[in-house]
Amino acid sequence: MAERDTPSEAKIVVSAFRHFFETADGPVQATDHVDLTIRAGEFVTLVGPSGCGKTTLLKALAGFIRPSEGNILYEGRPVRGPGRERGVVFQELAILPWRTVRRNIGHGLEIARVPRAERERTVARLIELTGLTGFEERYPHELSGGMRQRVAVARTWAANPDVILMDEPFAAVDAMTRLTLQEELVRLCAATAKTVFFITHSVDEAVFLGDRVLVMTRRPGRIKAVINVPGRAAGRDWESFKVDAAMQAIAEQVLRLVRQERGAAATPTAAALAAGTRA
Amino acid sequence: MSASAARSAQGLGDHRKGLAAGRLLRDLKILLPFAVLVAVWWAIYLSVDFSPQVLVSPLAVWHAFAHLVSHGVMAEYANTSLRMIGLAALLSLLVGVPMGFAVGINRYAAHALEGFLRFLQGISGIAWLPLAIIWFGFTHTTTLVIVIYTLIVPIVFNTMIGVRAIPEAYTLALRSLGASRLRLVKDVYLPGALPSIVVGLRLGMGYGWRALIAAEMLVRKGGLGDLIFGARTFGQIDRIITGMIVIGCLYVVVDRLIIQPIENLTIARWGVLRQ
Repeated sequence: MAERDTPSEAKIVVSAFRHFFETADGPVQATDHVDLTIRAGEFVTLVGPSGCGKTTLLKALAGFIRPSEGNILYEGRPVRGPGRERGVVFQELAILPWRTVRRNIGHGLEIARVPRAERERTVARLIELTGLTGFEERYPHELSGGMRQRVAVARTWAANPDVILMDEPFAAVDAMTRLTLQEELVRLCAATAKTVFFITHSVDEAVFLGDRVLVMTRRPGRIKAVINVPGRAAGRDWESFKVDAAMQAIAEQVLRLVRQERGAAATPTAAALAAGTRA
Repeated sequence: MSASAARSAQGLGDHRKGLAAGRLLRDLKILLPFAVLVAVWWAIYLSVDFSPQVLVSPLAVWHAFAHLVSHGVMAEYANTSLRMIGLAALLSLLVGVPMGFAVGINRYAAHALEGFLRFLQGISGIAWLPLAIIWFGFTHTTTLVIVIYTLIVPIVFNTMIGVRAIPEAYTLALRSLGASRLRLVKDVYLPGALPSIVVGLRLGMGYGWRALIAAEMLVRKGGLGDLIFGARTFGQIDRIITGMIVIGCLYVVVDRLIIQPIENLTIARWGVLRQ
Protein backbone atom coordinates (compact mmCIF):
# COMPACT_ATOMS: atom_id res chain seq x y z
CA MET A 1 0.00 0.00 0.00
CA ALA A 2 3.04 2.28 0.06
CA GLU A 3 2.31 3.24 -3.57
CA ARG A 4 -1.19 4.29 -2.71
CA ASP A 5 -0.41 6.95 -0.13
CA THR A 6 -2.57 9.62 -1.77
CA PRO A 7 -6.04 9.36 -0.22
CA SER A 8 -8.45 8.59 -3.08
CA GLU A 9 -12.15 9.19 -3.22
CA ALA A 10 -14.51 6.24 -3.45
CA LYS A 11 -15.99 5.88 -6.92
CA ILE A 12 -18.16 2.86 -6.34
CA VAL A 13 -19.32 1.55 -2.99
CA VAL A 14 -21.09 -1.79 -2.79
CA SER A 15 -22.63 -2.63 0.56
CA ALA A 16 -24.36 -5.79 1.72
CA PHE A 17 -24.98 -6.82 -1.90
CA ARG A 18 -26.78 -10.12 -2.37
CA HIS A 19 -28.46 -11.36 -5.49
CA PHE A 20 -30.93 -14.10 -6.33
CA PHE A 21 -32.15 -15.29 -9.71
CA GLU A 22 -35.64 -16.58 -10.25
CA THR A 23 -35.60 -19.95 -11.98
CA ALA A 24 -38.21 -22.60 -12.64
CA ASP A 25 -36.91 -24.47 -9.55
CA GLY A 26 -37.20 -21.42 -7.33
CA PRO A 27 -34.69 -18.70 -6.51
CA VAL A 28 -30.98 -19.41 -6.94
CA GLN A 29 -28.52 -17.38 -4.94
CA ALA A 30 -25.87 -15.91 -7.25
CA THR A 31 -23.84 -13.96 -4.71
CA ASP A 32 -23.60 -13.86 -0.97
CA HIS A 33 -23.04 -10.62 0.94
CA VAL A 34 -20.50 -8.53 -0.98
CA ASP A 35 -18.95 -5.32 0.35
CA LEU A 36 -16.60 -3.49 -1.97
CA THR A 37 -15.14 -0.06 -2.49
CA ILE A 38 -13.48 0.97 -5.73
CA ARG A 39 -11.45 4.15 -5.48
CA ALA A 40 -10.85 6.66 -8.25
CA GLY A 41 -7.96 5.73 -10.54
CA GLU A 42 -7.74 2.22 -9.16
CA PHE A 43 -7.51 -0.98 -11.24
CA VAL A 44 -9.39 -3.66 -9.32
CA THR A 45 -9.48 -7.22 -10.59
CA LEU A 46 -11.90 -9.86 -9.39
CA VAL A 47 -10.97 -13.50 -9.81
CA GLY A 48 -13.09 -16.50 -8.94
CA PRO A 49 -14.32 -19.85 -10.21
CA SER A 50 -16.90 -20.05 -13.02
CA GLY A 51 -20.42 -19.39 -11.88
CA CYS A 52 -19.41 -17.69 -8.64
CA GLY A 53 -21.46 -14.58 -9.37
CA LYS A 54 -18.70 -12.35 -10.80
CA THR A 55 -20.72 -11.36 -13.83
CA THR A 56 -23.81 -10.79 -11.68
CA LEU A 57 -21.85 -8.32 -9.57
CA LEU A 58 -20.53 -6.54 -12.67
CA LYS A 59 -24.00 -6.35 -14.23
CA ALA A 60 -25.29 -4.80 -11.03
CA LEU A 61 -22.47 -2.22 -11.07
CA ALA A 62 -23.31 -1.47 -14.71
CA GLY A 63 -26.97 -1.04 -13.76
CA PHE A 64 -28.27 -3.86 -15.95
CA ILE A 65 -29.76 -5.68 -12.96
CA ARG A 66 -31.09 -4.45 -9.63
CA PRO A 67 -29.59 -6.05 -6.55
CA SER A 68 -31.97 -8.27 -4.62
CA GLU A 69 -30.45 -6.93 -1.40
CA GLY A 70 -28.02 -4.22 -0.41
CA ASN A 71 -27.09 -1.20 -2.45
CA ILE A 72 -24.60 0.14 -4.94
CA LEU A 73 -23.52 3.75 -4.87
CA TYR A 74 -21.76 5.55 -7.68
CA GLU A 75 -20.17 8.76 -6.36
CA GLY A 76 -22.57 8.59 -3.45
CA ARG A 77 -25.73 8.19 -5.55
CA PRO A 78 -27.56 4.89 -5.95
CA VAL A 79 -27.15 3.15 -9.32
CA ARG A 80 -30.57 2.97 -10.99
CA GLY A 81 -29.65 1.85 -14.50
CA PRO A 82 -26.89 1.88 -17.07
CA GLY A 83 -25.13 5.20 -17.56
CA ARG A 84 -22.54 6.84 -19.73
CA GLU A 85 -20.21 7.35 -16.75
CA ARG A 86 -19.86 3.56 -16.36
CA GLY A 87 -18.57 1.96 -19.57
CA VAL A 88 -18.69 -1.80 -20.09
CA VAL A 89 -16.51 -4.14 -22.14
CA PHE A 90 -18.13 -7.54 -22.58
CA GLN A 91 -16.66 -11.01 -22.95
CA GLU A 92 -18.70 -11.79 -26.06
CA LEU A 93 -18.51 -9.71 -29.18
CA ALA A 94 -20.59 -6.63 -28.47
CA ILE A 95 -19.47 -4.34 -31.28
CA LEU A 96 -21.96 -3.99 -34.10
CA PRO A 97 -21.19 -6.10 -37.20
CA TRP A 98 -22.83 -3.58 -39.55
CA ARG A 99 -20.62 -0.68 -38.49
CA THR A 100 -17.04 -0.14 -39.56
CA VAL A 101 -14.26 -0.03 -36.96
CA ARG A 102 -14.29 3.77 -37.04
CA ARG A 103 -18.05 4.06 -36.65
CA ASN A 104 -18.10 1.45 -33.87
CA ILE A 105 -15.45 3.30 -31.89
CA GLY A 106 -17.21 6.63 -32.39
CA HIS A 107 -20.62 5.22 -31.46
CA GLY A 108 -20.69 6.44 -27.87
CA LEU A 109 -19.63 9.92 -28.97
CA GLU A 110 -22.31 9.88 -31.65
CA ILE A 111 -24.91 9.01 -29.00
CA ALA A 112 -23.57 11.83 -26.81
CA ARG A 113 -23.92 14.21 -29.79
CA VAL A 114 -20.26 15.16 -29.73
CA PRO A 115 -19.48 17.40 -32.73
CA ARG A 116 -18.03 15.52 -35.71
CA ALA A 117 -14.59 17.14 -35.68
CA GLU A 118 -14.03 16.35 -32.02
CA ARG A 119 -15.41 12.86 -32.50
CA GLU A 120 -13.01 12.19 -35.36
CA ARG A 121 -10.09 13.39 -33.24
CA THR A 122 -10.97 11.12 -30.32
CA VAL A 123 -11.55 8.13 -32.58
CA ALA A 124 -8.25 8.69 -34.40
CA ARG A 125 -6.40 8.86 -31.08
CA LEU A 126 -7.95 5.60 -29.85
CA ILE A 127 -7.35 3.84 -33.14
CA GLU A 128 -3.71 4.71 -32.70
CA LEU A 129 -3.62 3.74 -29.01
CA THR A 130 -5.21 0.36 -29.69
CA GLY A 131 -3.11 -0.45 -32.75
CA LEU A 132 -6.00 -0.44 -35.22
CA THR A 133 -4.43 1.99 -37.70
CA GLY A 134 -5.19 0.90 -41.25
CA PHE A 135 -8.34 -0.99 -40.27
CA GLU A 136 -10.63 2.04 -39.81
CA GLU A 137 -12.99 1.16 -42.65
CA ARG A 138 -13.12 -2.58 -42.06
CA TYR A 139 -16.15 -4.44 -40.75
CA PRO A 140 -15.85 -6.64 -37.65
CA HIS A 141 -16.20 -9.89 -39.61
CA GLU A 142 -13.05 -8.91 -41.51
CA LEU A 143 -11.03 -8.71 -38.28
CA SER A 144 -9.42 -11.31 -36.04
CA GLY A 145 -10.88 -12.00 -32.60
CA GLY A 146 -8.16 -9.96 -30.91
CA MET A 147 -8.78 -6.97 -33.15
CA ARG A 148 -12.51 -7.09 -32.51
CA GLN A 149 -11.87 -6.90 -28.79
CA ARG A 150 -9.53 -3.95 -29.40
CA VAL A 151 -12.43 -2.22 -31.14
CA ALA A 152 -14.71 -2.99 -28.17
CA VAL A 153 -12.12 -1.60 -25.73
CA ALA A 154 -11.55 1.49 -27.90
CA ARG A 155 -15.30 2.13 -28.17
CA THR A 156 -15.68 2.10 -24.39
CA TRP A 157 -12.61 4.32 -23.87
CA ALA A 158 -13.68 6.77 -26.58
CA ALA A 159 -16.92 7.53 -24.73
CA ASN A 160 -14.68 8.67 -21.86
CA PRO A 161 -16.53 7.07 -18.94
CA ASP A 162 -15.29 7.59 -15.38
CA VAL A 163 -15.31 3.92 -14.57
CA ILE A 164 -14.80 1.00 -16.91
CA LEU A 165 -16.25 -2.41 -16.12
CA MET A 166 -14.65 -5.29 -18.00
CA ASP A 167 -16.14 -8.79 -18.00
CA GLU A 168 -13.46 -11.28 -19.08
CA PRO A 169 -12.86 -9.26 -22.24
CA PHE A 170 -9.92 -11.38 -23.43
CA ALA A 171 -11.31 -14.82 -22.59
CA ALA A 172 -12.27 -15.62 -26.18
CA VAL A 173 -8.96 -14.70 -27.89
CA ASP A 174 -5.98 -16.98 -28.34
CA ALA A 175 -3.32 -17.15 -25.64
CA MET A 176 -0.61 -15.19 -27.46
CA THR A 177 -2.95 -12.40 -28.50
CA ARG A 178 -4.26 -12.27 -24.94
CA LEU A 179 -0.78 -11.44 -23.59
CA THR A 180 -0.47 -8.58 -26.08
CA LEU A 181 -3.93 -7.25 -25.28
CA GLN A 182 -3.17 -7.33 -21.55
CA GLU A 183 0.02 -5.32 -22.05
CA GLU A 184 -1.83 -2.88 -24.27
CA LEU A 185 -4.48 -2.48 -21.60
CA VAL A 186 -1.79 -1.62 -19.04
CA ARG A 187 -0.46 1.07 -21.37
CA LEU A 188 -3.93 2.36 -22.23
CA CYS A 189 -4.78 2.71 -18.53
CA ALA A 190 -1.51 4.49 -17.89
CA ALA A 191 -2.24 6.91 -20.73
CA THR A 192 -5.81 7.66 -19.66
CA ALA A 193 -5.90 7.22 -15.86
CA LYS A 194 -9.22 5.38 -15.64
CA THR A 195 -10.88 3.54 -12.79
CA VAL A 196 -11.24 -0.05 -13.90
CA PHE A 197 -13.09 -3.05 -12.47
CA PHE A 198 -11.97 -6.18 -14.29
CA ILE A 199 -13.40 -9.68 -13.96
CA THR A 200 -11.44 -12.77 -14.91
CA HIS A 201 -10.94 -16.38 -13.94
CA SER A 202 -7.27 -16.24 -14.85
CA VAL A 203 -5.09 -15.73 -11.79
CA ASP A 204 -2.13 -14.44 -13.82
CA GLU A 205 -4.32 -11.93 -15.61
CA ALA A 206 -5.81 -10.68 -12.34
CA VAL A 207 -2.38 -10.16 -10.74
CA PHE A 208 -0.76 -8.75 -13.88
CA LEU A 209 -3.40 -6.08 -14.43
CA GLY A 210 -4.54 -5.12 -10.95
CA ASP A 211 -3.66 -2.76 -8.14
CA ARG A 212 -5.81 -4.97 -6.00
CA VAL A 213 -6.96 -8.52 -6.61
CA LEU A 214 -10.23 -9.64 -5.07
CA VAL A 215 -10.75 -13.37 -4.74
CA MET A 216 -14.31 -14.63 -4.78
CA THR A 217 -15.60 -17.88 -3.31
CA ARG A 218 -17.63 -20.31 -5.37
CA ARG A 219 -21.37 -19.72 -5.64
CA PRO A 220 -22.95 -18.05 -3.83
CA GLY A 221 -19.88 -15.85 -4.15
CA ARG A 222 -18.49 -13.46 -1.60
CA ILE A 223 -15.11 -11.78 -1.49
CA LYS A 224 -12.86 -13.93 0.62
CA ALA A 225 -9.54 -12.15 0.21
CA VAL A 226 -8.07 -8.88 -1.05
CA ILE A 227 -4.46 -8.89 -2.21
CA ASN A 228 -2.59 -5.69 -3.02
CA VAL A 229 -0.27 -5.77 -6.02
CA PRO A 230 2.31 -2.94 -5.94
CA GLY A 231 3.91 -1.14 -8.83
CA ARG A 232 1.29 -0.87 -11.55
CA ALA A 233 2.14 2.81 -12.05
CA ALA A 234 5.64 1.82 -13.21
CA GLY A 235 4.18 -0.24 -16.05
CA ARG A 236 4.11 -3.98 -16.50
CA ASP A 237 5.07 -6.45 -19.19
CA TRP A 238 4.92 -10.22 -19.20
CA GLU A 239 8.66 -10.88 -19.58
CA SER A 240 9.55 -9.06 -16.37
CA PHE A 241 6.36 -10.15 -14.61
CA LYS A 242 7.31 -13.80 -15.11
CA VAL A 243 10.76 -13.38 -13.52
CA ASP A 244 9.75 -10.95 -10.79
CA ALA A 245 9.88 -13.02 -7.59
CA ALA A 246 7.58 -10.71 -5.65
CA MET A 247 4.97 -10.83 -8.40
CA GLN A 248 5.21 -14.58 -8.72
CA ALA A 249 4.77 -14.95 -4.96
CA ILE A 250 1.57 -12.90 -5.15
CA ALA A 251 0.34 -14.95 -8.11
CA GLU A 252 0.97 -18.17 -6.18
CA GLN A 253 -0.84 -16.83 -3.16
CA VAL A 254 -3.85 -15.89 -5.28
CA LEU A 255 -3.74 -19.23 -7.08
CA ARG A 256 -3.86 -21.07 -3.75
CA LEU A 257 -6.87 -19.01 -2.66
CA VAL A 258 -8.68 -19.67 -5.92
CA ARG A 259 -7.86 -23.36 -5.96
CA GLN A 260 -9.35 -23.85 -2.51
CA GLU A 261 -12.63 -22.89 -4.18
CA ARG A 262 -12.37 -25.50 -6.86
CA GLY A 263 -12.92 -28.23 -4.31
CA ALA A 264 -12.28 -31.90 -4.96
CA ALA A 265 -13.02 -31.57 -8.68
CA ALA A 266 -9.51 -30.28 -9.43
CA THR A 267 -6.84 -32.89 -10.02
CA PRO A 268 -3.56 -31.90 -8.37
CA THR A 269 -1.30 -32.55 -11.35
CA ALA A 270 1.13 -30.03 -12.75
CA ALA A 271 -0.79 -29.90 -16.02
CA ALA A 272 -4.06 -29.09 -14.29
CA LEU A 273 -2.27 -26.49 -12.22
CA ALA A 274 -0.92 -24.76 -15.30
CA ALA A 275 -4.26 -25.01 -17.05
CA GLY A 276 -6.08 -23.84 -13.95
CA THR A 277 -4.54 -20.41 -14.12
CA ARG A 278 -5.99 -19.87 -17.57
CA ALA A 279 -9.03 -22.09 -17.88
CA MET B 1 -18.68 -27.66 -61.76
CA SER B 2 -16.52 -30.73 -61.33
CA ALA B 3 -15.18 -30.18 -64.84
CA SER B 4 -13.95 -26.73 -63.93
CA ALA B 5 -12.53 -28.02 -60.67
CA ALA B 6 -10.58 -30.69 -62.49
CA ARG B 7 -9.16 -28.13 -64.89
CA SER B 8 -8.08 -25.73 -62.19
CA ALA B 9 -4.85 -27.67 -61.75
CA GLN B 10 -3.73 -26.76 -65.25
CA GLY B 11 -3.02 -23.13 -64.46
CA LEU B 12 -4.81 -19.86 -64.07
CA GLY B 13 -5.76 -19.31 -67.74
CA ASP B 14 -7.32 -22.72 -68.03
CA HIS B 15 -8.92 -22.21 -64.66
CA ARG B 16 -10.62 -19.01 -65.81
CA LYS B 17 -11.79 -20.69 -68.98
CA GLY B 18 -13.07 -23.55 -66.87
CA LEU B 19 -14.97 -21.12 -64.62
CA ALA B 20 -16.55 -19.38 -67.62
CA ALA B 21 -17.55 -22.73 -69.07
CA GLY B 22 -18.93 -23.76 -65.69
CA ARG B 23 -21.02 -20.61 -65.49
CA LEU B 24 -22.40 -21.17 -68.97
CA LEU B 25 -23.19 -24.76 -68.04
CA ARG B 26 -25.00 -23.54 -64.93
CA ASP B 27 -27.07 -21.05 -66.91
CA LEU B 28 -28.00 -23.76 -69.38
CA LYS B 29 -28.97 -26.02 -66.49
CA ILE B 30 -31.45 -23.41 -65.28
CA LEU B 31 -33.09 -23.30 -68.71
CA LEU B 32 -33.06 -27.06 -69.25
CA PRO B 33 -36.24 -27.95 -67.29
CA PHE B 34 -38.14 -25.26 -69.21
CA ALA B 35 -36.98 -26.70 -72.50
CA VAL B 36 -38.02 -30.18 -71.37
CA LEU B 37 -41.44 -28.93 -70.31
CA VAL B 38 -42.05 -27.23 -73.67
CA ALA B 39 -40.81 -30.31 -75.53
CA VAL B 40 -43.10 -32.64 -73.55
CA TRP B 41 -46.02 -30.26 -74.04
CA TRP B 42 -45.35 -30.10 -77.78
CA ALA B 43 -44.96 -33.86 -78.06
CA ILE B 44 -48.26 -34.48 -76.26
CA TYR B 45 -49.94 -31.84 -78.39
CA LEU B 46 -48.70 -33.46 -81.61
CA SER B 47 -49.41 -37.06 -80.60
CA VAL B 48 -53.02 -36.47 -79.51
CA ASP B 49 -55.54 -34.63 -81.61
CA PHE B 50 -56.64 -32.00 -79.10
CA SER B 51 -59.48 -29.60 -79.66
CA PRO B 52 -58.23 -25.97 -79.33
CA GLN B 53 -60.70 -25.73 -76.41
CA VAL B 54 -58.50 -28.17 -74.45
CA LEU B 55 -54.85 -27.65 -75.39
CA VAL B 56 -52.98 -25.52 -77.92
CA SER B 57 -49.41 -25.71 -79.20
CA PRO B 58 -46.55 -23.66 -77.71
CA LEU B 59 -46.47 -21.78 -80.99
CA ALA B 60 -50.13 -20.74 -80.61
CA VAL B 61 -49.30 -19.51 -77.11
CA TRP B 62 -46.39 -17.52 -78.51
CA HIS B 63 -48.72 -15.89 -81.04
CA ALA B 64 -51.26 -15.06 -78.33
CA PHE B 65 -48.45 -13.56 -76.26
CA ALA B 66 -47.24 -11.45 -79.20
CA HIS B 67 -50.79 -10.30 -79.83
CA LEU B 68 -51.46 -9.36 -76.21
CA VAL B 69 -48.16 -7.50 -75.98
CA SER B 70 -48.49 -5.62 -79.27
CA HIS B 71 -52.01 -4.44 -78.37
CA GLY B 72 -50.88 -3.25 -74.97
CA VAL B 73 -53.29 -5.61 -73.23
CA MET B 74 -50.62 -7.58 -71.42
CA ALA B 75 -48.92 -4.41 -70.19
CA GLU B 76 -52.16 -3.16 -68.69
CA TYR B 77 -53.01 -6.40 -66.86
CA ALA B 78 -49.42 -6.91 -65.69
CA ASN B 79 -49.22 -3.29 -64.59
CA THR B 80 -52.32 -3.69 -62.41
CA SER B 81 -50.87 -6.78 -60.72
CA LEU B 82 -47.38 -5.33 -60.22
CA ARG B 83 -48.71 -2.07 -58.79
CA MET B 84 -50.94 -3.98 -56.41
CA ILE B 85 -48.14 -6.23 -55.12
CA GLY B 86 -45.81 -3.22 -54.85
CA LEU B 87 -48.33 -1.17 -52.87
CA ALA B 88 -49.13 -4.17 -50.66
CA ALA B 89 -45.42 -4.82 -50.00
CA LEU B 90 -44.83 -1.18 -49.07
CA LEU B 91 -47.81 -0.99 -46.71
CA SER B 92 -46.96 -4.37 -45.19
CA LEU B 93 -43.41 -3.26 -44.42
CA LEU B 94 -44.60 0.06 -42.96
CA VAL B 95 -47.01 -1.69 -40.62
CA GLY B 96 -45.38 -5.12 -40.21
CA VAL B 97 -41.85 -4.09 -39.26
CA PRO B 98 -42.86 -1.85 -36.31
CA MET B 99 -45.24 -4.60 -35.18
CA GLY B 100 -42.44 -7.15 -35.38
CA PHE B 101 -40.20 -4.85 -33.30
CA ALA B 102 -42.86 -4.29 -30.67
CA VAL B 103 -43.40 -8.01 -30.33
CA GLY B 104 -39.76 -9.05 -30.64
CA ILE B 105 -38.40 -6.61 -28.05
CA ASN B 106 -40.86 -7.80 -25.45
CA ARG B 107 -40.06 -11.42 -24.63
CA TYR B 108 -43.49 -12.09 -23.12
CA ALA B 109 -45.34 -10.62 -26.08
CA ALA B 110 -43.20 -12.68 -28.44
CA HIS B 111 -43.99 -15.82 -26.52
CA ALA B 112 -47.70 -15.02 -26.40
CA LEU B 113 -47.98 -14.16 -30.09
CA GLU B 114 -45.82 -16.87 -31.62
CA GLY B 115 -48.64 -19.44 -31.65
CA PHE B 116 -51.14 -16.87 -32.85
CA LEU B 117 -48.95 -15.84 -35.79
CA ARG B 118 -48.49 -19.48 -36.78
CA PHE B 119 -52.26 -19.92 -36.59
CA LEU B 120 -52.73 -16.94 -38.91
CA GLN B 121 -50.13 -18.37 -41.28
CA GLY B 122 -52.36 -21.44 -41.52
CA ILE B 123 -55.38 -19.41 -42.66
CA SER B 124 -54.37 -18.44 -46.18
CA GLY B 125 -55.33 -15.07 -47.59
CA ILE B 126 -57.63 -16.83 -50.03
CA ALA B 127 -59.61 -18.23 -47.09
CA TRP B 128 -60.36 -14.62 -46.11
CA LEU B 129 -61.77 -13.84 -49.57
CA PRO B 130 -65.42 -14.69 -48.78
CA LEU B 131 -65.41 -12.35 -45.77
CA ALA B 132 -63.42 -9.66 -47.60
CA ILE B 133 -65.84 -9.69 -50.52
CA ILE B 134 -68.80 -9.37 -48.14
CA TRP B 135 -67.10 -6.45 -46.35
CA PHE B 136 -65.49 -4.60 -49.24
CA GLY B 137 -67.30 -5.91 -52.32
CA PHE B 138 -65.67 -6.81 -55.64
CA THR B 139 -63.13 -3.99 -55.39
CA HIS B 140 -59.40 -3.34 -55.42
CA THR B 141 -59.71 -2.84 -51.68
CA THR B 142 -60.61 -6.51 -51.27
CA THR B 143 -57.59 -7.58 -53.30
CA LEU B 144 -55.30 -5.21 -51.40
CA VAL B 145 -56.55 -6.41 -48.02
CA ILE B 146 -56.02 -10.05 -48.96
CA VAL B 147 -52.51 -9.45 -50.30
CA ILE B 148 -51.46 -7.30 -47.32
CA TYR B 149 -52.78 -9.94 -44.92
CA THR B 150 -50.76 -12.60 -46.75
CA LEU B 151 -47.61 -10.49 -46.92
CA ILE B 152 -47.68 -9.03 -43.45
CA VAL B 153 -47.71 -12.24 -41.42
CA PRO B 154 -44.29 -13.50 -42.61
CA ILE B 155 -42.90 -9.95 -42.31
CA VAL B 156 -44.06 -9.57 -38.68
CA PHE B 157 -42.95 -13.08 -37.87
CA ASN B 158 -39.48 -12.78 -39.38
CA THR B 159 -38.92 -9.28 -37.98
CA MET B 160 -39.74 -10.67 -34.56
CA ILE B 161 -37.35 -13.61 -35.06
CA GLY B 162 -34.66 -11.21 -36.30
CA VAL B 163 -35.00 -8.91 -33.30
CA ARG B 164 -34.89 -11.82 -30.89
CA ALA B 165 -31.76 -13.22 -32.54
CA ILE B 166 -29.80 -10.01 -31.85
CA PRO B 167 -27.24 -10.73 -29.10
CA GLU B 168 -28.19 -9.09 -25.81
CA ALA B 169 -24.66 -7.71 -25.52
CA TYR B 170 -25.31 -5.35 -28.46
CA THR B 171 -28.13 -3.59 -26.66
CA LEU B 172 -26.48 -3.72 -23.22
CA ALA B 173 -23.31 -2.18 -24.65
CA LEU B 174 -25.25 0.62 -26.29
CA ARG B 175 -27.28 1.28 -23.17
CA SER B 176 -24.07 1.68 -21.21
CA LEU B 177 -23.01 4.20 -23.86
CA GLY B 178 -26.14 6.18 -22.99
CA ALA B 179 -28.39 5.09 -25.88
CA SER B 180 -32.12 5.87 -25.74
CA ARG B 181 -34.86 3.42 -26.75
CA LEU B 182 -35.18 5.15 -30.13
CA ARG B 183 -31.43 4.95 -30.63
CA LEU B 184 -31.51 1.21 -29.91
CA VAL B 185 -34.20 0.74 -32.56
CA LYS B 186 -32.29 2.80 -35.10
CA ASP B 187 -28.78 1.50 -34.44
CA VAL B 188 -29.36 -2.07 -33.24
CA TYR B 189 -32.83 -3.52 -33.88
CA LEU B 190 -33.35 -2.19 -37.40
CA PRO B 191 -29.95 -3.08 -38.88
CA GLY B 192 -29.75 -6.26 -36.79
CA ALA B 193 -33.12 -7.52 -37.94
CA LEU B 194 -32.73 -6.33 -41.54
CA PRO B 195 -31.51 -9.62 -43.03
CA SER B 196 -34.42 -11.37 -41.36
CA ILE B 197 -36.88 -8.68 -42.50
CA VAL B 198 -35.70 -9.22 -46.08
CA VAL B 199 -36.27 -12.96 -45.70
CA GLY B 200 -39.78 -12.21 -44.44
CA LEU B 201 -40.39 -9.86 -47.37
CA ARG B 202 -39.16 -12.47 -49.80
CA LEU B 203 -41.39 -15.19 -48.37
CA GLY B 204 -44.29 -12.74 -48.18
CA MET B 205 -43.86 -11.72 -51.81
CA GLY B 206 -44.06 -15.38 -52.82
CA TYR B 207 -47.25 -15.99 -50.84
CA GLY B 208 -48.61 -12.53 -51.69
CA TRP B 209 -48.17 -12.97 -55.42
CA ARG B 210 -50.17 -16.21 -55.34
CA ALA B 211 -52.86 -14.65 -53.17
CA LEU B 212 -52.99 -11.67 -55.53
CA ILE B 213 -53.66 -13.82 -58.61
CA ALA B 214 -56.32 -15.79 -56.75
CA ALA B 215 -58.01 -12.62 -55.49
CA GLU B 216 -57.92 -11.06 -58.95
CA MET B 217 -59.63 -14.16 -60.37
CA LEU B 218 -62.59 -13.66 -58.06
CA VAL B 219 -62.68 -9.88 -57.86
CA ARG B 220 -62.37 -9.45 -61.67
CA LYS B 221 -61.16 -5.85 -61.62
CA GLY B 222 -58.02 -6.24 -63.75
CA GLY B 223 -54.69 -7.93 -63.15
CA LEU B 224 -53.24 -11.17 -64.49
CA GLY B 225 -55.64 -13.31 -62.45
CA ASP B 226 -58.51 -11.49 -64.15
CA LEU B 227 -56.83 -12.04 -67.54
CA ILE B 228 -56.60 -15.82 -67.23
CA PHE B 229 -59.98 -16.24 -65.53
CA GLY B 230 -61.66 -14.03 -68.15
CA ALA B 231 -60.04 -16.07 -70.94
CA ARG B 232 -61.59 -19.21 -69.45
CA THR B 233 -65.07 -17.80 -70.12
CA PHE B 234 -64.29 -17.71 -73.82
CA GLY B 235 -62.25 -20.91 -73.85
CA GLN B 236 -59.09 -19.04 -74.88
CA ILE B 237 -56.57 -21.68 -73.87
CA ASP B 238 -53.72 -19.74 -75.53
CA ARG B 239 -54.44 -16.67 -73.38
CA ILE B 240 -54.72 -18.72 -70.21
CA ILE B 241 -51.35 -20.37 -70.73
CA THR B 242 -49.76 -17.08 -71.80
CA GLY B 243 -51.05 -15.47 -68.61
CA MET B 244 -49.73 -18.32 -66.49
CA ILE B 245 -46.28 -18.06 -68.01
CA VAL B 246 -46.21 -14.30 -67.50
CA ILE B 247 -47.30 -14.76 -63.86
CA GLY B 248 -44.39 -17.14 -63.28
CA CYS B 249 -41.88 -15.00 -65.15
CA LEU B 250 -42.82 -11.77 -63.36
CA TYR B 251 -42.44 -13.47 -60.00
CA VAL B 252 -38.98 -14.74 -60.91
CA VAL B 253 -37.99 -11.29 -62.19
CA VAL B 254 -39.20 -9.50 -59.04
CA ASP B 255 -37.59 -12.08 -56.77
CA ARG B 256 -34.25 -12.31 -58.57
CA LEU B 257 -33.81 -8.72 -59.69
CA ILE B 258 -35.18 -6.84 -56.67
CA ILE B 259 -35.38 -8.91 -53.50
CA GLN B 260 -32.46 -11.29 -53.85
CA PRO B 261 -29.94 -8.48 -54.51
CA ILE B 262 -31.14 -6.74 -51.32
CA GLU B 263 -30.72 -9.98 -49.42
CA ASN B 264 -27.22 -10.54 -50.79
CA LEU B 265 -26.28 -6.98 -49.91
CA THR B 266 -27.30 -7.37 -46.26
CA ILE B 267 -25.54 -10.72 -46.02
CA ALA B 268 -22.32 -9.36 -47.53
CA ARG B 269 -22.34 -6.25 -45.36
CA TRP B 270 -23.49 -7.88 -42.16
CA GLY B 271 -21.09 -10.78 -42.63
CA VAL B 272 -23.79 -13.16 -41.48
CA LEU B 273 -22.34 -15.98 -43.56
CA ARG B 274 -18.89 -15.59 -42.14
CA GLN B 275 -19.76 -15.49 -38.45
